[in-house]
Amino acid sequence: MSSTNGAILETPSITKHVLGVLVENHHGVLSRIAGLFAARGFNIDSLTVSATEDSSMSRMTVTLTGDTTVIDQIRKQLNKLAEVITVEDLTEQGLHIERELVLVKVEYSPEKRTDLIEIAAIFKAKSVDMTPETIAFEISGSQEKIDNFLTMIAQEACITELARSGVVALARGSGGLRKSFYAD
Amino acid sequence: MAIAEEAIITLEEERGGGPHALAGNEMMGAEMVIQVLADQGVDTIFGYSGGAILPTYDAIFRYNAGNPDKEIRLVVPANEQGAGFMAAGYSRSTGRPGVFLVTSGPGATNCVTPIRDCAADSIPAILICGQVPRAAMGTDAFQEAPVFNIMQSCAKHTFLVLNPEELEATIRTAFRIATTGRPGPVVIDLPKDVQNWTGKFRGEGYLNLRGYEKRFARLQAMRVSDDSMASFFHMLEQSERPLIYAGGGVINGEAATELREFANTLGIPGVTTLMGIGSLDTTSDLSMHMLGMHGTAFANYAVDDCDFLIAVGSRFDDRVAGKVHEFAPNARGIAHLDIDAAEIGKVKNVSWSYVGDTGRCLDDLVRYAKKTGFKKDYTGWQRHCAGLRGNHPLDWNRKSEMIQPYYVLEELNKITKGDAIVSTGVGQHQMWAAQYFDFKQPRTWLTSGSMGTMGFGLPAAIGAKMANPDKVVIAVDGDGSIRMNLGELETATTYGVGVKVLLLNNQGDGMVRQWQKLMFDQRFSGTDKTMHKKDFVKAAQADGYEFAERLHVNEVDKVPETLQRFVDHDGPAFLEVMIDPDALVMPMVGPGKSYREMIVGDWIKPRESEGPAAQMDGKTKADLF
Repeated sequence: MSSTNGAILETPSITKHVLGVLVENHHGVLSRIAGLFAARGFNIDSLTVSATEDSSMSRMTVTLTGDTTVIDQIRKQLNKLAEVITVEDLTEQGLHIERELVLVKVEYSPEKRTDLIEIAAIFKAKSVDMTPETIAFEISGSQEKIDNFLTMIAQEACITELARSGVVALARGSGGLRKSFYAD
Repeated sequence: MAIAEEAIITLEEERGGGPHALAGNEMMGAEMVIQVLADQGVDTIFGYSGGAILPTYDAIFRYNAGNPDKEIRLVVPANEQGAGFMAAGYSRSTGRPGVFLVTSGPGATNCVTPIRDCAADSIPAILICGQVPRAAMGTDAFQEAPVFNIMQSCAKHTFLVLNPEELEATIRTAFRIATTGRPGPVVIDLPKDVQNWTGKFRGEGYLNLRGYEKRFARLQAMRVSDDSMASFFHMLEQSERPLIYAGGGVINGEAATELREFANTLGIPGVTTLMGIGSLDTTSDLSMHMLGMHGTAFANYAVDDCDFLIAVGSRFDDRVAGKVHEFAPNARGIAHLDIDAAEIGKVKNVSWSYVGDTGRCLDDLVRYAKKTGFKKDYTGWQRHCAGLRGNHPLDWNRKSEMIQPYYVLEELNKITKGDAIVSTGVGQHQMWAAQYFDFKQPRTWLTSGSMGTMGFGLPAAIGAKMANPDKVVIAVDGDGSIRMNLGELETATTYGVGVKVLLLNNQGDGMVRQWQKLMFDQRFSGTDKTMHKKDFVKAAQADGYEFAERLHVNEVDKVPETLQRFVDHDGPAFLEVMIDPDALVMPMVGPGKSYREMIVGDWIKPRESEGPAAQMDGKTKADLF
């Protein structure tokens, strides 16, 4: 017999997770999912919702940071909601594609303009608006890439406005949430 | 790219029955609601009318006029909360979902407490709330409240019917969700114009909740594999002192028969949680009764002594587990059977688990034991448990000149002999009732376990008595709890519901006072009711109780005879017993304490080998609840 410890006493490693969630495209589903996180005290980093290839479903991508016990509990709690179709931890499955879209506006002094544009070029960010005092960039990519980009430009200019879309993610290869839901 | 499933589907179990007799008929939305309720076998609706639900109340009247042989009883409480607890009492005592029907706004918000109460104890129930017409929603209309938002945080599921074409499927689906998997309450928010809409009745169809259905089908199909079975019996074989720890899941999952068979076949003693009372017959040899904060000393000692714990439909709640890592400290293994995957490992890591129908799992385990000829002699452990029971029984000051609550309940138990349905409020009287009554069958003990809602007892008893007219139904209440829904005293006499209301009056909120005594240096802030003027007997008489009596605190000798007349009275009866206000609930495992720190009070014999009793003087800061 193995010894038993209180689950709440263990301290497994804390890592970032990306959950893909398919839900019925019904009234109030977003509020229900958001309500679950709020009521149970689960902290999430981002939550995106959108239509999918199937008009009766919506897809949510939730990114959160926590230990495996917490992530496991969140998945189980999501699975208890009647309108949740399927939940998968894309991080756990290994390879996945993840992107976030960001618009960021900076105020710059004229001598920094070239530096900013160089940084943008390295990160493949686009300049999408420009005035004598401000530039707005559009960048998409993984959260890490975006965080690095923002750190770099913050050293050259003052970020005055920032809008992030939150992460969207898909599994790589032939898999997929909808496909695997119907497969078994 | 227009892949999309149908919004309304026919479930497997519906197929082959032929069309509904009324299929194709033009009906109002309100009529469809009542027709589907009738199809679901609903014989009683608890509720209170009002502007936004008028069409549906009208539909009940018309349904009953047209179907005199299968009328739906309508029971109107004093307050919607009462309707909710009546529905809960109906549900808890039968297993069939109780239905309550209320108007929008305040009608709906008064139901938040019973909905949360049902969800917290996994009780199936259906609440239909009227809502302002769709066009008025969001305009702060008269008696408008955001019911969908409020209720979705509390209920198992909440529907807002915006598409009338989905109305009848929604009502059916509500019953489906309430009663499958881990049961719970479902709320339907129903705009008035949807009730007034007219359309074709289909007589079949459910909302397409494909994920829920798939997960439910998996749960249904779940069996214990041979490997898993072997591993369970390997642990059992190595164990000398196995103990069952049964919770409300056994009652809600209708698994009491299988649990008893499992315990008897293998000779394993069992403790139950507050919600699990009745899963084992408390008068049977293997029953060690309730564990936990106010469990019996012998049950808690058995938990401390066991070396293998078998948790069945229980969830290591804080009132049971106390200091989690010191709970069942000698258990080298824990097995956990539950319908809800989220309960496995939530509080305590376990060495063996099964997610699915607990009754089926227990049945499979018994079959496997018989098939493989599993035999292990636990008679030594059984004798040990019997010794604990014999040496550390519940006890109290039997020489007191004041009526002791324990005495009242012991005497009442001699009359009802474990066959009555007992409901309670919340507080000391609830714990005393749990400790001192016997329960031979499941669904005879009705109490607000997880939420701990004062005011639950009286309306729950009314609902239970309506569902079980031939049973003795007793509401044991305290003076604090009964005040919360005192208006429902009249509901019992209005409908001639023969509940027996036993009020144990200690002139205050006794349980809170007990905590203040032990943890707040006897500062009785807000809990003393000695100056309150209420004459409960006069109140009962005013509400039409023909039996309404009071025993004064020194009338100890009158207790047995009065209780007998109280139970024998034909019809609703009210008995107030003034009890020793200083009576405590013992034993007590303080919040966040381990069982080794249990205090037993002055009258229960502690075990000498136990650790030091918890320090509960005014200096202990009670951060824990």
